[in-house]
Amino acid sequence: MNVRAEGSCWHCGEALPPGDAVRAVVGGVSHPVCCPGCRAAAEWIDALGLADYYRLRSEAAMRAPDPARVADDAAAWARPEAARQALRELDGGRCEVLVAVDGLRCAACSWLIERAVGALPGVTSVEVNAAARRARITGDRDTLALPAIVDTLGRAGYRALPLDAQVLDDARRREARVAMKRLAVAGFGAMQAMMYAAALYFGAVERMDAVTRDLFRWLGLLVATPVVFYSARPFFAGARRSLAARRLGMDVPVALAVALIYAASAVAAIRGGADVYFDSVSMFVFLLLAGRYLEMRARHRTGELADALARSSPAFADRIAGDGSLVRVAAFELRPGDRVHVAEGATVPADGVVAGGECTVDEALVSGEPVAIRKREGDVLLAGSIVVDGPVRLEARRTGAETMLSAIVTLAARAAASKPQLAQEGERAAARFVARVLALAAITALGWSLVDPARAFAAVLAVLVVACPCAFALAVPAAVTRALGVLARRRILVVNPDAIEALAHATHVVLDKTGTLTESRITLDDVHSRAGVDRAAALALAAALARASSHPLARAVAAGAGRGPVPAAEVRVDAGAGISGVVGGRRLRLGHAAYAISGELDRAQAGTIDTALDGALVLADDDGVVATFRAAEEVRPGVREAVAALVRSGVVVSIASGDALSRVAKIAHELGIERFAAALTPQAKLARLESLRAGGARVIAVGDGINDAPLLAGADVGVAIGSGTDLARASGDIVLVDSRLDGLVEARAVAQHTLAILAQNRRWALGWNFAAVPLAALGFVPPWAAAAGMSASSLAVVLNALRIGRANGGRAATGQLAAGRGPPGLAAKASPA
Amino acid sequence: MNAIVALIPVSIALLIAGAIAFFWAVDHGQFDDMETPGLLPLEDDGAGPAAHNAPPRCAGRE
Repeated sequence: MNVRAEGSCWHCGEALPPGDAVRAVVGGVSHPVCCPGCRAAAEWIDALGLADYYRLRSEAAMRAPDPARVADDAAAWARPEAARQALRELDGGRCEVLVAVDGLRCAACSWLIERAVGALPGVTSVEVNAAARRARITGDRDTLALPAIVDTLGRAGYRALPLDAQVLDDARRREARVAMKRLAVAGFGAMQAMMYAAALYFGAVERMDAVTRDLFRWLGLLVATPVVFYSARPFFAGARRSLAARRLGMDVPVALAVALIYAASAVAAIRGGADVYFDSVSMFVFLLLAGRYLEMRARHRTGELADALARSSPAFADRIAGDGSLVRVAAFELRPGDRVHVAEGATVPADGVVAGGECTVDEALVSGEPVAIRKREGDVLLAGSIVVDGPVRLEARRTGAETMLSAIVTLAARAAASKPQLAQEGERAAARFVARVLALAAITALGWSLVDPARAFAAVLAVLVVACPCAFALAVPAAVTRALGVLARRRILVVNPDAIEALAHATHVVLDKTGTLTESRITLDDVHSRAGVDRAAALALAAALARASSHPLARAVAAGAGRGPVPAAEVRVDAGAGISGVVGGRRLRLGHAAYAISGELDRAQAGTIDTALDGALVLADDDGVVATFRAAEEVRPGVREAVAALVRSGVVVSIASGDALSRVAKIAHELGIERFAAALTPQAKLARLESLRAGGARVIAVGDGINDAPLLAGADVGVAIGSGTDLARASGDIVLVDSRLDGLVEARAVAQHTLAILAQNRRWALGWNFAAVPLAALGFVPPWAAAAGMSASSLAVVLNALRIGRANGGRAATGQLAAGRGPPGLAAKASPA
Repeated sequence: MNAIVALIPVSIALLIAGAIAFFWAVDHGQFDDMETPGLLPLEDDGAGPAAHNAPPRCAGRE
């Protein structure tokens, strides 16, 4: 599968840097790659004999990490303290470890990981879960080496992170296995029961003798019993729970239907009564379980909060010892007051203050601030933010579970737990329905016991069967399951099925700005150049210097210049100030105004510089300013149309951002959004949401950052952008895999259509009840008619649900999306696994 | 009729055997990963990491 476009890296698919490309030799053929990291990864994969990976994969790999960093990371896991935290001892001299693997994108990755790690000494089994991006490695206690595993994965281009041994009890795996068994038992049982039922139906026509009839009834009882007592157990448990909470939820009519039909049929089989319905009850359980199984699969595709936290904060920190040397320790070993060395490009391990040096910090994911911020001595650094240029010395103030990052995770977990359970329309209807059926059955029993007590039992049974809780109980799951399937095919992942209804009824949309409305990537907004220098030439000169730095602004300049590199000599990077070098015989400086114009690092001069140049990136030579560059955020593709469509559909759209007011106001104005709030902390975002909700609003929240997680978890519908942080994805009810906001508009259209179908289904079940129940109560409905009616009404409900996603509403939205879709490569890259 | 009396127990025995086999497979992780095994037939020789010293072969750029 060729996932690589011309001019892009053979390994990761990113654009090749201009100039002489690095080349990797794989399978004897030389391929261009973007960086030494990718070359090392490609050649390592080849050396392991696993070059097949490139043929098997359907997604490009993640850009490989720097080999030096990998070796460093791996060595840290040799510390006994770290290994003790991650390894779990099993009996028989074995142990296991669970590793979170970043960059696991498609099945070929799982294949590669299984092969590469499986070949290590001491490893007995490797299980990769592509959806959860986890690998479970089991091996011999004495020979299994954690550093070797991290090193092998790192060199193959993945970021490996052994997780705390506490998460080894994989609740999800257990849940998935049990669900699969229940489904299989229900499926087998339903098929067999139907076969025996078919024999009974033919027998009724052909005058089957009583002995044979009873044999087939007993067989039906035999196969339906495990279906009811094993497969249907979750429904009984759910019904018990909602009854304990004094509510009549969706599980109550299901449990009631299963129990009653099974009991009535069993009585009929044993005592030789009217008729048996073992086929119906098994099929009913199977269909409901199938719906639940699909829901569970969708839920398991998104990460767990525990993994998200582990991925957002580093596992290790470099503690500065008393003699000034660096000791690598696990992040959980840090204590307040410790001094920590944070290298360039590393993630800050604990909350603290800068205690030496200066740095630029990217806090986009933590606070929503899109532009990297300059931090000086005494400024606060937050765990989880990335040091763009460094190194810097940090004095830890809050560590472990006390950091802002952990607090946000806790807040998100709490918001999700206390999410007000708005009584779902389905549940309310279920409650009314159950109450009605029970009342009818009671009246029938009372009436017949006065008239003819001998016929009371049969009549009550007929009422309960004809009232057909099946069609009713199937109405909601059939429609919701279909809606989930339709949305998943359009790359909108619904994690929480309750979101469908809330989505259709929402009155407000709260949008995050950075990463949701705007691209976190910075693009060059306006370039002003000195007379006689054209824009392209100025950009090319600046890019020649900018390539030397990894600062986000410098990267934006380098990207803006495109190909056709101008060579630069004597390039020097002055951390925190700028870059200087000789280009085309001229000495140029690129950086903030004071540095570029004066060529000195002395900040005292900064006050004398024209304030118009504040915040701009300046390119200057010895004669003065050559050009200035300003960075701006770009509105993401599809956002404009999506916001317009949302406003048209009558919801109130607002922005809640952690970013500065001026930037938020600019974007809001550009998109025509009147309500916006800026500089909000995660707590403040949640508080705003709660005040909105107190006013009766039902709120959709859309976000991508760590700071949005509480908002997403607490909203009626939390929508996470697929390319956002793991934490946001783990907190949302819906994930837009393609990271396009117009997916939300589409999801809303499907949700509304689903509710319309639901209402139809419910009316149908109700109409059937009104027509048939009085007849059954009076004893006029023969058993075969009751059974046929029950099957027909269930079938009608399921077939009607299949119309979801076919009507005009859904199709129009698809067309719009397909027309506006970006390059397929980009869309594919954003998808998980 | 006699055929039915003989065949029904056989079908139920097969059913139970099938269910037991399925439970065993689920418990032994056969269904935990539904994607990777699909790639196995696409491998060139299925040798995997054992092919450390194999002569370089084309990685297939189609």
